[in-house]
Amino acid sequence: MAEKGQLSREFAEEQSSLWRIAFAPTVWAVHFVACYATAAVACAKFPEAELAHVGVWRVAISAGTLVALALIAWIGWRAWRHWDYLDDHDYSHGRDDNESRHEFLGHAGFLLAVVSFIGVLATWLPAFLIEGCT
Amino acid sequence: MTDTTPDRPQRRPRQEQITPDTAGEKAIGPYPPTEEMLAEPVPEELRRAQENRLREVWKEPQGWRYISAVNNSEVGKWYSLTAFGFMLLAGVLALVMRVQLAVPGAEVLDADRYNQFFTMHGSAMMFLFAVPMFEAISILILPAFLGARDMPFPRLSAYGFWCFVIGGVFVMGSLLFDAAPSSGWFMYPPLSTKQGGIGADIWLLGLSFIEVASIAAAVELIVGVLKCRPPGMRVNLMPLYAWYVLVVGGMILFAFPPLIAGDLLFELERGFDWPFFDPDRGGDPMLWQHLFWIFGHPEVYIIFLPSIAIAAMVVPTAARRPIVGYSWIVLSAVGTGFLSFGLWVHHMFATGLPSISLGFFSAASEAVVIPTGIQLFAFVATLMVGKVRMNLPMLWIAGALAIFTAGGLTGIMVALAPFDWQVHDTYFIVAHLHYTLFGGMVLPVIGGVYYFYPFFTKKKMSDRLGRWSFWLTFTGFNITFLPMHLTGLYGMPRRVYTYPGGLGWEPLNMLSTLGAFVLAAGILVFAWDLLRPKGRQPLTERNPWGGGTLEWSHEVPEEKWGVRSIPHITSRYPLWDQPKLVERMDAGRYYLPDSDEGHRETLVTSVIDARPLQILRVTGPAWITMWAAAFTGGAFIFPTFSMYTPAIVCAAFAIVCVCYWLWTSTALIPARERKDAGLGLSLPTYVAGPQAVGWWGMWITMLGDATAFASLVFGVFFYWTAGSDFPPENALHADWRYVLLACALMLTAWAGMLLGRTRNRKGESGAAPILIGAALAAACGIAALIAAVIEMSPTSHVYPAMMCALVVWCVAHIGGGIIMLAYCAAALIFGRATPTHDAPLWNVSLYWHFMAAMVVTVTLCLAILPRLV
Repeated sequence: MAEKGQLSREFAEEQSSLWRIAFAPTVWAVHFVACYATAAVACAKFPEAELAHVGVWRVAISAGTLVALALIAWIGWRAWRHWDYLDDHDYSHGRDDNESRHEFLGHAGFLLAVVSFIGVLATWLPAFLIEGCT
Repeated sequence: MTDTTPDRPQRRPRQEQITPDTAGEKAIGPYPPTEEMLAEPVPEELRRAQENRLREVWKEPQGWRYISAVNNSEVGKWYSLTAFGFMLLAGVLALVMRVQLAVPGAEVLDADRYNQFFTMHGSAMMFLFAVPMFEAISILILPAFLGARDMPFPRLSAYGFWCFVIGGVFVMGSLLFDAAPSSGWFMYPPLSTKQGGIGADIWLLGLSFIEVASIAAAVELIVGVLKCRPPGMRVNLMPLYAWYVLVVGGMILFAFPPLIAGDLLFELERGFDWPFFDPDRGGDPMLWQHLFWIFGHPEVYIIFLPSIAIAAMVVPTAARRPIVGYSWIVLSAVGTGFLSFGLWVHHMFATGLPSISLGFFSAASEAVVIPTGIQLFAFVATLMVGKVRMNLPMLWIAGALAIFTAGGLTGIMVALAPFDWQVHDTYFIVAHLHYTLFGGMVLPVIGGVYYFYPFFTKKKMSDRLGRWSFWLTFTGFNITFLPMHLTGLYGMPRRVYTYPGGLGWEPLNMLSTLGAFVLAAGILVFAWDLLRPKGRQPLTERNPWGGGTLEWSHEVPEEKWGVRSIPHITSRYPLWDQPKLVERMDAGRYYLPDSDEGHRETLVTSVIDARPLQILRVTGPAWITMWAAAFTGGAFIFPTFSMYTPAIVCAAFAIVCVCYWLWTSTALIPARERKDAGLGLSLPTYVAGPQAVGWWGMWITMLGDATAFASLVFGVFFYWTAGSDFPPENALHADWRYVLLACALMLTAWAGMLLGRTRNRKGESGAAPILIGAALAAACGIAALIAAVIEMSPTSHVYPAMMCALVVWCVAHIGGGIIMLAYCAAALIFGRATPTHDAPLWNVSLYWHFMAAMVVTVTLCLAILPRLV
């Protein structure tokens, strides 16, 4: 009975949130805007800067990228736990019960974390490959 | 039929019993319903009586009063036909342009009229057809997918529709007077700010007005998806269409407001010479490009996603099995929704931005391919594992996928900055964008019309005409646009009214022109099939395609009540998986089978699991929405002709109309606090605060409003980064003492609102005077804020102009807040709100939370930040 109570609490409606699946893409968006703003301000305010100076903000962007990737990985890991795929190998979540809904939100969140992870890496590539503003 | 799930023991949902003493605003009674409860028959006599009452309540007004209808089935029909009409007009413009371009040196159109035509072709297709068509079709079919009687705010839909009609006729009508906008659908300054005439003003004000209608529809649709689902339709069981609508609604909230903010700045420049885009006085035309494309690129996905959502409904029906990869498609919709905001600068690759900035946007443009592609693969997978019946709608969808894929491939090419520099502003881009828009919008929507037509009108369209139309459209389209890739690579620029011979462009242009007429023939066959009288044709069967979603439980012949009773859903494809569902819906076995008080009602459920929460009374036919739309129209249209006094009068009347509409029909105190919803479930009839649909409507509206404000603040930072003279040396700043005073007064008003609401809830007296005091404080705050910038001269430089624009925004919003405070005070004084019925107070508090954040930001931008740099 105690276990059942715990189960129903774990999957209760209050424990789920639609917002949560948007967390990873939100990290992507914040990272994207931060990269763009950093580069824009750096190029506009210090156009004649030394290469070393350019190096500073490229390192800053890379550091920010690491933070974003770590955050998304953590969000993805939590979503994977929600999905709990290895428990029942369910990937369609079409049933009418709390568990199915709970695992669906985990699954969608996990997939979005994967896409966001790739998106952050893609955003970082220009900062990695391009050395200056022009 | 279930998705490919390994067999496992089904857990029986636990029934919850809530007793009256713990109830409050909760549901009382058994939920979910058991099989025994559902199996119990409804007495025939009761059923008849209920049907008669429902029919009476949902009856449409007759005769000329018909246009006062607000029911989603009527408004949706008018809305989509109007949008289709604008599409045909914009198509005619395209045909005339193709005639002009058929041979070099033609004189069918002169340069100016050609400019008007291509500007209006793009603007009308985007603003008057593609986006409104999404709203129209969603208003029409979303309630049916959700088994709801209507949308939560029917009058808001009607208001949006009438705004759209007025704005659309105004903008298109300008063509007849040779006064249409002519500087491209993106209205780039300085061309459009320096241009004489009223064309640019018509574009700015007319389309801003329509954007307001779009945001109204977005609010309606988001709240509809989140709060008006049938009991049991958890988020994992929602039809995919609803997921797409949710995502697109959210995108509208973040994409349209930047354009509205841009329009405000633009019109301040054109009307009052505030130099936002004038480089001589510190302005920068690039800001407009940013704001326009922050709107413009997501807009492409706002058009694409709902159309592909139609495909997500047609494909499972054609394949006769559930969609493969439901979670993957949700990923795809949400992921595309986000990533599509990271693409806007790829329209600005040729503007000389730092190459590293271009790199970020190029990267995001490539990344968006992942979610976009995933949904297409999911459709293909569904078709592969299903037993496909190649019906007519599926033919259109298949054609759409082929064309869209081709457009996507050229999209990947132009997302690469070096390639884009080669083809920028050539016919290659024209070919690319038409491939994405025809494949991503026009073809799936026509397929959707064929698919849903039996639901709309209870008649069928012709299969033979449909196939003719498809093949004409499909071949005509490819003959027109495939050669344009080559025309572009040969170097022919866009937006030129004619071209010299001898450059190898002639045969390609002639081919495109011929193809355009084949394409037009295909669209005309469709239009004829759509509109031809079908009086003698037999009615359709109820589920002609064998679909599995709730809209096919519709009644033939038509009943206006939406659904006879709102079912309890346990599957993604209830019509396939829940035997006896339709029979029991018809019998009135499910929820809300009756309307004993003679009110229009629908069910409100919880966001995640769709547990029943409330019986919501929805509004019926009204003229006030039309008056409100007419006066709103006046407020936008008069400034086009620099007639500001009539515009202000119209705005005042629009506000009066909206207040009257709210006062007489929203959050009415019900005669009975609880009602029987059927199946032994008793639900509250009045809900205030975060569970109420009105509160959600406010929250979503304010999210959009906050985005527009954020765009203005973005403008401040943009000028700071882009130029070295923002603020200019020795500039006159806003008087910081007045700014701080204004901030304190407005925050006092916010605190007063919260105090008033809390005191009223506790049943203590004095709430109304507190609210009036708050309104007075806010009014003094407005005076202080104006005093702070009164010395600044906004025409002299962009810095004072930007500061004054922030003040204009803030004053208008606090003004709205004062009206709302007065409304709440009046509601308390006249008994329209009580300690237990205080929904307006909650909604206005929410508005003031946003105001508080806005006031603090304005204070920072006005009084503090400029002194730090």
